[in-house]
Amino acid sequence: MTNTPTRLKEAFAEAGVTGRLHALDIDSGAELGTGADHPVVTASVHKLCVLITLYEQAAAGLLDLTEQVECPPDGRASGPTGLSAMLDPVRMSLRDAAYLMIAVSDNTAAELCLSRVGLDAVNATTARLGLTRTRALHTFRAMFESMREDAGPGGAQALTDPYVIARLRALDPARSNHSTARDMTRLLRALWRDEACTPEHGAAMRRVLGLQVWPHRLAAGFPFDDVHVAGKTGSLPTLRNEVGVVEYPDGGRYAVAVFTRAARTAATLPPADAVIGTTARIAVEALRAGA
Amino acid sequence: MAQPPLSQRIKGLERHLGVRLFERTSRQVTITKAGTLLLDDARELLGRSEALLATARRIRDGESGLLRAALPPDIAGETVAALLDGFRAHRTGVELELRELTTAQQLTQLAAHDLDVGLIHHPCDVTGLELGPVLRREMGVLLPRDAPAAALTEVPLTALTGYDLVLFHRSAAPALHDDLLTTCARDGYAPAAVRHGQGASFVRGLILSSHAVAFGPRDAHPAPAADEDPDLVWRPLAGAPLAWRHSVAWPKGRGDTAVSTFAQAVTQALHSTAAVTADAPPRPLHLRPTAEYWL
Repeated sequence: MTNTPTRLKEAFAEAGVTGRLHALDIDSGAELGTGADHPVVTASVHKLCVLITLYEQAAAGLLDLTEQVECPPDGRASGPTGLSAMLDPVRMSLRDAAYLMIAVSDNTAAELCLSRVGLDAVNATTARLGLTRTRALHTFRAMFESMREDAGPGGAQALTDPYVIARLRALDPARSNHSTARDMTRLLRALWRDEACTPEHGAAMRRVLGLQVWPHRLAAGFPFDDVHVAGKTGSLPTLRNEVGVVEYPDGGRYAVAVFTRAARTAATLPPADAVIGTTARIAVEALRAGA
Repeated sequence: MAQPPLSQRIKGLERHLGVRLFERTSRQVTITKAGTLLLDDARELLGRSEALLATARRIRDGESGLLRAALPPDIAGETVAALLDGFRAHRTGVELELRELTTAQQLTQLAAHDLDVGLIHHPCDVTGLELGPVLRREMGVLLPRDAPAAALTEVPLTALTGYDLVLFHRSAAPALHDDLLTTCARDGYAPAAVRHGQGASFVRGLILSSHAVAFGPRDAHPAPAADEDPDLVWRPLAGAPLAWRHSVAWPKGRGDTAVSTFAQAVTQALHSTAAVTADAPPRPLHLRPTAEYWL
C-alpha cells in the first residue's frame, strides 16, 4: 500500500492545491504529515491563538470574560459574517465576541478580542505553549488593509488575477501572520489536554470550537454522526486552511492541521475546501490503524 | 520585528529625513501626509535595490554570463525564434540557456533556484514567485473538415455537441483540466467522453477516427498549413471562452536586468507570433460568507 504522506500529496494534487498537513494522536503522541514544518499563512486560524490568549488572561484575573464591550456600527472591520455584517450598535460580553470570532470567523469580533489583549500577548501565549514557528505580525484589520492596498484600484475583483495574487503581502508567510501545521496540532493538543489553561476555561474554548458553523472543510471528511469535529478555518485568496480536533466514540482524539494553497484563483472552489476533510480523514485513519 | 527596535528605527529614519512619518498615540499608529508622499518613492527605491542585489548575487554566484530560462513545450517554434532574436538584440552580455519544461517542472526548479525565469501556464500555485502580467492565448477548436461546425467562421461551444473531446491527461494540470471542462459545460458543451492525448499526431488520429475535437491556440495551427490540411481545420471559438493564460515568473526578490529583459523579449515574441492579448477583464465576483474576507 502507498504510504500515507504520498497518499496525502496525491489527494492535494488531485484537488489542484499545494497542501501541508500534520496529524497528531492527542493521547499517544503518534503523528504523521506532509510539509508539517513548512511556514504557512494562518489567516483566520490565528483567531484560535487570540481565543486562547483571551481565556488565559481571564484565568490569570487580567480580564473578566463577562465584561461588556461596546461595538458601534462605525469603524467595524470588514467581513461577511457576524458583527462585521450587522448594521446597528451592539453591546455584548467578551466571551460572546469570542464565540462569534470562532463560530463564524467574525472579523469585527476578532478585533474586539484582539484589541483587549494586544498582539504582544497573543505572541507571548503561543511562545509559552512552545510554538516557536508561530507569530502574529499584524491585526486582522491591518491584514485586510494591506490586501486592499496590494489589490489596488481593481478592488476585490482584482484578487482573481494571478499577477495581483503574487504580490499580496498577506499571502507571504514572512510578512503575514504565520505558523506551521505541526505548531497548530501542538496547540490543539495542549488545549484538549487542559495544558493550555484551566480545565474550566479549556472546556469553554472547546465548546466554542465545536460550534463553528462551516461544514465544508475538516468536518466534510468525517460524515459520521458519532464523530465530533471542532475546529477553526482560515481563508484568503487561493488559501484555505482548517485546524481542529476529531473525536471518535472509542475515545480516540486526533488534532489535525491542514493548510492549502490553490492553483486556481477563483473564490469558490468546492474541491479545494473538501480536500481538507479528505486528507484529514486519510491521516486520522492511518493514525487509528497504527500506520 | 519586535516593537521597540522598530520604533527606534522609525525615529532614526524620521531624524535622517527631517520629516515626521507617523502619528503615534498610545493605541494606534497612523501614517502622516508626509509619509504618504514619500511612500511611492520609497517603494520604487526598494524595488530597484532588490534588482541591484539580485544582479550582485548573480555575479557573486559566478552566473553573471548565464540566464537559465524555460518555456513550456506548447510554444510554437516561431515564438521561440522571435524570443531568441529579441533577447540577443538587447545585448545584455548574458547568455541565454533555454530549456523546454512543463509548468510543474518550472515551479520545482524555480523554487530550488535551478531556474532563473520561466513562462508558466496558469492556474498554478505562485507561492514565492513574482509574476509579469497575465498574457492570454486564445484557444480555438480543431475539428474534422467534414464536421458541420467546420463551415462556420467562429464555432460556438454548443455546436460541438455530440463530439468527444481530446484533452491532455488531468494529472498533467488538474486545475486547468477542470477549468476547461467547467467552462465547456457552462457554455453548453458537455462531451460524452474525454479522451486523453497530447502529441500532435496522436490528437490528429483521434479527431479523424473517433468523432472527436480538440482545443488549441491559433499559433499551433498556423492558417496556411491548416488550409492545406485535407482532413482537419482550426476555427476560433465564438466569444473566445477558452484561453491559455501565461505569465513570466521568477523567484521573489531575484528579478534582475537579465530577468526583465527575458520577460520583455518573451512578451514581445508572443505578441508578434502568437495572437496574445492582455488578460480578459475580471468577471463579477460574488464572495460567499465562507470566503471569510471582504474588501
